[in-house]
Amino acid sequence: MLEDLLLYALNVASELGAGYAEARYHKVDSMGFMSRNGVLISAFSEVSEGIGIRVLVEGSLGFASTNIIDKENIRKVVEIAVSRARAHAKLLKKSIEFSEARLGRARYIVVPVKDFANLSLEDKVSIHREFWERVSKGSVREAKIPVTTLSYNEWTEEKIVMNTDGAFISSIVPRLSIHYNIVVHHPQRGYAQRFESFGATGGLEWLERWRLIESGEEEAKTLEKVLLEGVEPPRDPVPVIVGSEIVALMVHESCGHPSEADRILGREAAQAGKSFIKPNMLGQRIGNEYATVIDDPTIPGSYGFYLYDDEGVAARARYLYKEGIINEFLHNRATAGIFGVESNAAARAMDYASEPIIRMANTYLKPGNYSFEELLEGIKLGVYMKSYMEWNIDDERWSQRYVGLESYLIENGELTKPIRNPVLEITTKAFYSNIDAVGKELRFYAGTCGKGEPSQGVPVWFGGPDVRLKSIRLGIAL
Amino acid sequence: MSDVNLDNISRFVNELIKKGFDDVAAKVEVVDSVMTKIANSSVSIVQNWKRTIVDLYLAKNRRIFVLHFEPKSFKDLQKHVDSVISLADRVTESPIYAPLPEPSKVRYVEEVIDKRVIEAANNMNSIAERVIEAAHRENIESVAGMMQVGYNEIILSSSKGALLEEKKTFVQGYLRAFAQPDGSGQWCYTSTTLDLSGLESMAFTASRYAVDSRNRSEIEPGVYDVILSPMVFANLLEYITSMASAMSVIMGWSMFMKNRPGDVVASQLLTLQDEPRNTELPNFRSFDDEGVETCNKLVIEGGVLRTLLHNTKTAKYMNTTTTANAGWINPVPWNIVVRPGSATLDEMVSEVRRGLFITNNWYTRLQNYVEGMFSTVARDAIFYIENGKIVKPVTKIRIADKLGNILKNVAIVGRELYNIQWWEVGIPMKTPYILVKSINISKHTI
Repeated sequence: MLEDLLLYALNVASELGAGYAEARYHKVDSMGFMSRNGVLISAFSEVSEGIGIRVLVEGSLGFASTNIIDKENIRKVVEIAVSRARAHAKLLKKSIEFSEARLGRARYIVVPVKDFANLSLEDKVSIHREFWERVSKGSVREAKIPVTTLSYNEWTEEKIVMNTDGAFISSIVPRLSIHYNIVVHHPQRGYAQRFESFGATGGLEWLERWRLIESGEEEAKTLEKVLLEGVEPPRDPVPVIVGSEIVALMVHESCGHPSEADRILGREAAQAGKSFIKPNMLGQRIGNEYATVIDDPTIPGSYGFYLYDDEGVAARARYLYKEGIINEFLHNRATAGIFGVESNAAARAMDYASEPIIRMANTYLKPGNYSFEELLEGIKLGVYMKSYMEWNIDDERWSQRYVGLESYLIENGELTKPIRNPVLEITTKAFYSNIDAVGKELRFYAGTCGKGEPSQGVPVWFGGPDVRLKSIRLGIAL
Repeated sequence: MSDVNLDNISRFVNELIKKGFDDVAAKVEVVDSVMTKIANSSVSIVQNWKRTIVDLYLAKNRRIFVLHFEPKSFKDLQKHVDSVISLADRVTESPIYAPLPEPSKVRYVEEVIDKRVIEAANNMNSIAERVIEAAHRENIESVAGMMQVGYNEIILSSSKGALLEEKKTFVQGYLRAFAQPDGSGQWCYTSTTLDLSGLESMAFTASRYAVDSRNRSEIEPGVYDVILSPMVFANLLEYITSMASAMSVIMGWSMFMKNRPGDVVASQLLTLQDEPRNTELPNFRSFDDEGVETCNKLVIEGGVLRTLLHNTKTAKYMNTTTTANAGWINPVPWNIVVRPGSATLDEMVSEVRRGLFITNNWYTRLQNYVEGMFSTVARDAIFYIENGKIVKPVTKIRIADKLGNILKNVAIVGRELYNIQWWEVGIPMKTPYILVKSINISKHTI
């Protein structure tokens, strides 16, 4: 029994003097196909399966993992984790401690509405062919589509987490993800390109919801229009409607990441960076009353779904910014101890060979009550940025840049000409302070969030409605 | 896996051929490594890995399957492979299929197994202590970063008869130093042997940049001549050389979609080479994943694109020959080395009338891979240069331009090469400081 081996690992760690130990069986089983222009390049299958062990010894944190799941090997890796953690204890400025937490003892399984087996292999392969045929032949008039690529991936994550403080969490979560790339070319106007990702927890029911092929057709049409008809954005400051796809990414980057308590404390300082939020900034204003950002792992069907984190703590919604105020950080048990609060269950590991670290799950801006037409109303001259390709943000999460892909001029309350490559380059505070209207339709987008050393990619959703910013000077990408 | 050896792997490959596959290759990688992660000049975690990874390439009737496992034993793999057999005729032929190459004699580079690296695995605490202490010889507040040592062994067997093995050790590290009130600097080091002076030098550089970049001010966006540090140049070359993979071109993920070998793509001052046989850098390899002997090769010579990176599949697809950069599907760069110029950093600074010196960057993203449109955030020490002198440290800017412009506007290449590999540069490189003319610099407008 796996549970017996995990318990054995905990016992060995305790015998060797660990004050805390945690053992996690973690299996990620995936398969899929990658195609170019409708033809399969290859099929792929990956299985990662093993046990990760984390120990606290004399205040020093150690981690070791093995994919040979037997007693002899487990003892070896526990010994390594304990002895090397102990050797580093003398370098600690302050002992690492875990906070008290309400730990779960539970099992949960996400059952897909439509199991992966409900679609034949041939039908899964035919998705690729149909995507290429419809996107390349029916969607563009003057331009050409030299390349589309499509990647289809179904995967199941299975975990058992046990620790010496009494947690026992067993979970099985299936996920589906699809990524495509469309390149549109016009001899005089050059190239335009769109990468798009879909991802969710569950099964094949998502294929219908995503309208994959229609999405590809619409994107190709849009890219051609941007290439052929795109004009420069206005040079003067104008009202900007930021589309939900961009808002979703913005809240992930400029609220979720800077709210990670490990970042705030400097643990990721040499990698993904620090945070403009300092430990004493809870309660300070970062935006106006529209700035409420929530991170919630428990949204059914979400790509970042979980009910207990990898330290065994029960998950709940976290209100990171609340009506413009910095309200709550994302915590694991170590950072919760430092801040004197309870962990809010943000610890997640990518696979058995990775330590659990603080991660977002599904981060979104709280929707308001405007329809899209109401957001447009009254704008004499403005810009609507619907989608993006290029983006980045500095490592304190303060200065960020998003380059619009599908964007339009707004004239007298109506969308008119497409705009090519408008740049929204803005500070975090300016963004959250300049929102003057929020749409009512909340939409989510899938991504793989990277953090940690070695870097761990974990599935997340980010979401938001369309929002209107008062007056912003846009740039233009070269 | 306890049963990893050449005989078992070869036997396993032969059994798969008997099951009906046309081509089989198995790559087994054993990694044993330790990483000490540092934050606030203290140790945040010690991570240990001992992994055996099995990658399989299977082809039947021109259908391709690529599998990745971390099994207990070869026996444990059977059920996975059997499930693939049932799929083999139900997927479609791959347009890039080519038979695995016939084995030829592989001349090995000199094996680099540094016993000091293996011993260091149990002594990382003292190495970390020494590096932290070195960084604090400057007046800094704290450092963060990591140091990793490890051993790596690769065994490759193919159904054409290739049976190859290579072992190596590696050392990597990077450190970011912080100095009050707002200074920061970052540097890195990578090698196949344990050189504590290299790690200490990394610490000194990070701390020196942190101290020198205190009291930053803001500058206006616009067009500047810019000195890129080896860290920044390596980050951009990571994107550029990955786009030189023929598979990136085929898949529409490359600025070289518009080019052919022989085209001028860069300044004539720029020559860069893929060097799998350079044993100073951790990604050295005597053979690629198809069992072909590797060779050092010019990718860009004097500004001219000399070759894309190929395996036998992409080579057949593009009617050329492999460059021994397999990846069974994606050809990959091994180690990238820039040919040094003759200038010192000081000489480079003296040539700049109005410009910037950027020592580190992160978060490079592209609007359009084919056009090479990108931006990247300048990070840590950034200096404004006027009339040949560094005037002041600045902050909060990004490079926003086209990768093609960066390559074409290289004006001076530094004479010293630095070993670069860190969180933002996965491919080991030897890169110099370079001066690039007329780079577009942007910043937030509100």
